[in-house]
This record gives sequence, C-alpha cells and structure tokens, in this order.
Amino acid sequence: MTGATESPKYGTGLTGWAAHVGEVLSGLPAAYRRELGSNRRRAIVLTILAILAVTYPILNRFFLQGFSRNVFPLPLPDDTVVTFMMIFGIMAIGLNIVAGFAGLLDLGYVAFYALGAYTAAFLASPHFGSVSFVVLANVANGFPGIHLPFWIIVPLAVLVAGTFGALLGAPTLRLRGDYLAIVTLGFGEIVPVVFRNMADVTFNIGLGPISIVADHLNLTGGPLGINPIDAPFLPFLNIRFNASAGFAPVYLGMLLLVVGILVARNLERSRIGRAWMAIREDELAAEMMGVNTLRTKLLAFALGASFAGVAGSLQSSYLGATTSDFFQFSTSILVLIMVILGGIGNIWGVLLGAIALTYVDKTFLPYLGQQIQAIAPSFPNPAQFNFLFFGLTLVVMMRFRPEGFLPNRQRAAELTVHGLIAAEIARGEEVGVDNLGMAPPGQDEVAGDARAAETVDESEKE
Amino acid sequence: MTDLASAQGSELLTGSLPDERLLVKSRRVTKQFGGLVAVNEVDFDIPRGSIVSLIGPNGAGKTTFFNMITGFYTPTAGTIDFDGQPIVTQRRNRMKGKKPHEVAELGIGRTFQNIRLFGTMTALDNVRVGANVHLRSRWWDAVVRAPRMLNEEAATLDAAMDLLRLVNLEDRAHAWARSLPYGDQRRLEIARALATRPKLLLLDEPTAGMNASETQEMTDFIRRLRTEFGLTVLLIEHDMRVVMGISDRVTVLDYGTVIAEGSPLEVRQNPRVIEAYLGRGAAEH
Repeated sequence: MTGATESPKYGTGLTGWAAHVGEVLSGLPAAYRRELGSNRRRAIVLTILAILAVTYPILNRFFLQGFSRNVFPLPLPDDTVVTFMMIFGIMAIGLNIVAGFAGLLDLGYVAFYALGAYTAAFLASPHFGSVSFVVLANVANGFPGIHLPFWIIVPLAVLVAGTFGALLGAPTLRLRGDYLAIVTLGFGEIVPVVFRNMADVTFNIGLGPISIVADHLNLTGGPLGINPIDAPFLPFLNIRFNASAGFAPVYLGMLLLVVGILVARNLERSRIGRAWMAIREDELAAEMMGVNTLRTKLLAFALGASFAGVAGSLQSSYLGATTSDFFQFSTSILVLIMVILGGIGNIWGVLLGAIALTYVDKTFLPYLGQQIQAIAPSFPNPAQFNFLFFGLTLVVMMRFRPEGFLPNRQRAAELTVHGLIAAEIARGEEVGVDNLGMAPPGQDEVAGDARAAETVDESEKE
Repeated sequence: MTDLASAQGSELLTGSLPDERLLVKSRRVTKQFGGLVAVNEVDFDIPRGSIVSLIGPNGAGKTTFFNMITGFYTPTAGTIDFDGQPIVTQRRNRMKGKKPHEVAELGIGRTFQNIRLFGTMTALDNVRVGANVHLRSRWWDAVVRAPRMLNEEAATLDAAMDLLRLVNLEDRAHAWARSLPYGDQRRLEIARALATRPKLLLLDEPTAGMNASETQEMTDFIRRLRTEFGLTVLLIEHDMRVVMGISDRVTVLDYGTVIAEGSPLEVRQNPRVIEAYLGRGAAEH
C-alpha cells in the first residue's frame, strides 16, 4: 500500500532536480507538437496570442503607436498601463491562491500590496537620510538613506508580506466565511492608515541597559509618502526600469508574472493544492482525513500575501514614489473583481481578468472620458465612475456567467448546474488523453450527464 | 488476529483483555451538550484486529462517541487511549483533546453517515487527500518541483490507484466524486479513509441506503479489510443482518450508556436490548 519501497523515479538533490528540469524543458517541443496534432486550432491561436503578448510592447513602440488612434477603434494601452497589467496580474494570481484555491474570502488584500511597496520604499530611498547604507545599488557610496538593489528587495518583500499574512492569518483563520472577510477587511483598512499616520513617531522603550528612543521620527512620510525610490536597475546592461524607461519595465513585470504563474501552478498541482481544494469543498472532512486545516489555510494566506508583496515592491520601485493613497479598500475590491470576472480558481482566467480590468480602468475609460468631454464638456467623466462600470459588469456576469470568462471547471460546477454537466463532459473528453495510461471510462457521456444531473437534483433537495 | 476472529464476543468484553491487546480503551467517557448528557460514563474497549459494532436507537450517542474518538468532540470527562497513546488528556480541570488531523495521523480513518466526499475533486484526488497525512514534501518542494516531491507524488499516485483498484473504482479514477453512483461513493469514502493508512477504521453506517446484494458485498469487503490489512473496525450500523453477520462483539448504547455487550447472539437475546429497540413490554412476549 505504501509504494515507498520502490526505487525512486527521480534522482535526489540538485543534480536530480537539474536533470528533471532539463527533461521537462527538452520535452517541451514534443509536447507542443503533440498539442498541435491533437488540437490544432487551439494550439495555433494560443501560440499567436503568446507571441503577441510578448512582443506587444515592442510592436506598440515601433509600429502601432504612430497610427493607432486612426486605425483601431479603441486606444491601445501604453507601457505604463501594460506594466500595471503585470502588477495586477501578479496580485490577481496571488489572491486566486487565497480565494480561488483555498476558498478564503480576503477583502484586505491591498494591505500586503502596501507592505510590499513600503518595503521597497524603506530599503531603496533616501528616506532614512540619517544613515547611509548602500549595498550593490545603483547609487554612490555614502549617499544618504538605505539603498538595496531591487533583486534583493523582491525576496524581502515576499518575506515581509508573507510574514504579515501569517500573522494576520494565525488568529483569524479559525473564523469562517463572513467573519474572516470582515477581519481581513479591517486589516486592509488599518495598514494604509498606519502608513499614513506614522510620520511623527515619538517613543522611548527601555529594555534594561538598552533604550530605544525615537523623537518625532518620520517613519513613513505620512500623507506625502516616500520618494524618490530607486528604480530597479540591471547592471552591465545599464537599464533602469522606471516610468521613463519605455517598455523595459513591462518585461520586468512579465518576468515576475511568469515566475508567479509557475509558482501558483506548481502549488496547485501538489499535495498542498489538493489540500486547499479539499478544504474548500468540505473543511470538516478534510480535517478528519488528516489535513491540518489551520496550517494549510495559513499557508494559502501567507503565500497569497507574498504575491502582493512582489506586486507592491514592483509598483513603488517602478513609479519611484509611494503614498498610502495607492492602497485603498477599492484596490482590494478591484483585484477581487479581476479574480471573479476572470474565472475564480483558474490562473489564466484571473490573469485575463487582471489584464481586461486594468485596460478598462486605465485606458478605455479615460479615453471614453476624453471623447465625451470633446462632445459634451458638461457631461460627467466616466473615468470617475469606474467602479460603477465594474459593479454593473459584475452584476451582469453573475446573472449570465457567474463562473467568469475562463472558468475553473470545479468552481463552475459549484456555481451552476449547467457548469457541472459541462465540466463532466469536458472531463470525459480529457480522460481519453490522460497521461496515466489508463483506459477511458466505459460509460457513454449521455449516461454520465444524466447521472450528474441527478446528483445535482439530489443535493439541491437536501 | 486469527484467534480473535474465532473468539467469542464475550471473550472480547470491555475490561477482559490486557491493555496491550487493546487498540482503543475508553474509560468513563462523558459528553455533555449543555444540559443534555449525550454519552454518559462509557467504558469501551476495542481489541486489536476485531470488528466491533456499536448499535442503539437513534439519539443513543453512537455518533457522538465516534466523534470523540476522532477528536471532533472533546469529552467532558473521561479518558480515551488509542494504541497506547492518550487522545484526550486532563490538565487540571480542563480536558484537552487531540485535533482530528492529529488523530488521523495516529491511525484512525473514518467514513461519514452522510457521505462527505470532496465532490468536484476526482476519485483519485479524493484518495490522494487521504494520503496527505503521510506526505513529507513541503510547499517549497512543490514550488520548485523538487525530486523528493516528484518521487513522493509518483508513489502516492501508485498507492492511490491500488486503493481505487481495491474498491473497484480504477475505471472511474478521473470522474468527479459527486458524479459517481451512490454505492461507488460509499466505497470511495472507504478508499479515502484507507489512504490515511489507519489502524482503526470507523465506519458510520456503511450500508445505509444499499440494497441486499450491495449490502452483502460491503459486508464481505469489510471482512476482507480485516483479514488482508489487519485492520480493526468499529462499525455503527442499523442493519442488523450486517451487525450480526460480521461483528465479533456488539455494544449497545441507549441514552448514552452501555446497556449490553457481547457476541451478536447474546446481544440479540438480551431483554434490555429488545426493550430499548421495541419498547417496554416487548421483551416479555
């Protein structure tokens, strides 16, 4: 029953890992050819989409920008907007771990975004001007303030946001559903307020011989925030990834996003991912089957938070400034809407949600506003009513497609009867090409559907 | 185990065997919900390798007792030892129980009276969640897909498929649990419990809602679990044919107290049991 005595399939240690990674990478072309053979249209469409996505910033810069307004009916997003698509993409994928995989409603996700942003602000700015601590950064030695390179700040932001995620989660994850949402909401409100108000800190802590004294210490810059923050800098190539660097920051964001996607996907397809799903399905049964539910939920919370930490550090380093105004409750809601509209539980869905909503928020609505202002200057600017649009979209989506644009099949089944049947059919098709070398189930699909529908009826009766 | 299988129920009575032959030993276990005493000072032993049934009218406290063994409830008073280790301990005046996941790790697997599978997870993944308790790879192993996690996953997959084969569900490994027919769901729940590699298997009405032939199959299967895996089984069951057919010993609860204990035959003839089930007066006829 154990199977532990069998000889292991993969070598251990770093060499084994490297061999495995090499194997996976060298297997990719074959996998792509297989995909091309089995579902040609899908493979081609996805390939074109991927190439367009990767080359978009370059295309935009050299070809599209010049004539876009007259050729395309809608404005194209510029580099700043695309960078924010990446930032929100990272956040949506992180929130999806909490809300999508583990089923925990987190309404204070922006707090971790703020923590990431302020981590970068503290560690790469002249803010603490009384000290000078420059390590491997793109500033002269002796320059006032703490200056660490972005590449060190990102892991630190992961650590800070993850730690706060665990600290918040430890006492609150015993709560369920609505109560958890309320507590996270409170946390999301507290963190930006703390950052806004810690501009004048005075305290005197005596610990025996040591005493820590702060006299009117400006810790967070108050409402003005902290600036300038060092831009991410790539030595040798001499690239500074700031707002004036064109499309370079887009690729930095893309890199972090790809890492985020890989991490989230690997977690989903592991025992932790299965434990999260089990908790989402039936927390009590999961606990009885030996899943340490508290620890598993805490892990979801901390890991999800760390994604927001990355997004926050990228945002403030890219913009070169941060203030607490960036981190309002509405941002938590915005990311949650991205996750829900895109397709909760599905990494690609929430990514699509992030891209689409960032586009609407930062490119489409301002454009619409300009057009309307030109015709009727007294008409209110729709860009100020962005949440009205998001709210309406959400209402319409909940009515017609509650599972989101690109749904996760499991979550779709939880939401609708139709989703369950569709998922069953899709599942049947998938089993035929599974990689476990097992025969597809012998039942025909019609019987399977009838049974699925029956099961739903029964559970609704209960 | 063979000597147990052939032993008479009365030789397996609570208190008659030495501790080292007991898997579960509960003494004066009481559970109160407010003013209601659901379980009242129950002494209950489960000998290793035995199949013991817990029966009684509705509301007798069977499931409450089950839930105390699995750590879901902490008893108001009393002690429960499993495999020589205390599941509940008393510290000053406070009872402290192991958490359900810790109990599962010690080696107690269970099924539920109303099936509680992970509905939109595949049959295979349901079983793999059960195996979770024995997996040692950590989240960072999953993030980088470390070899030890991949090896563990491969072994888990094999073991889970073996279990699905055992319950004749290998063809439906990739079907969602909620799409399986009722009988399959019952067996999948047992497979999931077996994946935790239990020493003690708690089955809460495993044949509820089954027809005669399905019930017979399930009975044979439970017997097989004991002979092939050396499992000890505690059964809550209403179907008397099942109880009488496979139990080494039957314990009857009524109003939270043990009213009879012994071999199926002895219990069936016990006047107090007849009275509890059929009402006062029935025993005289």
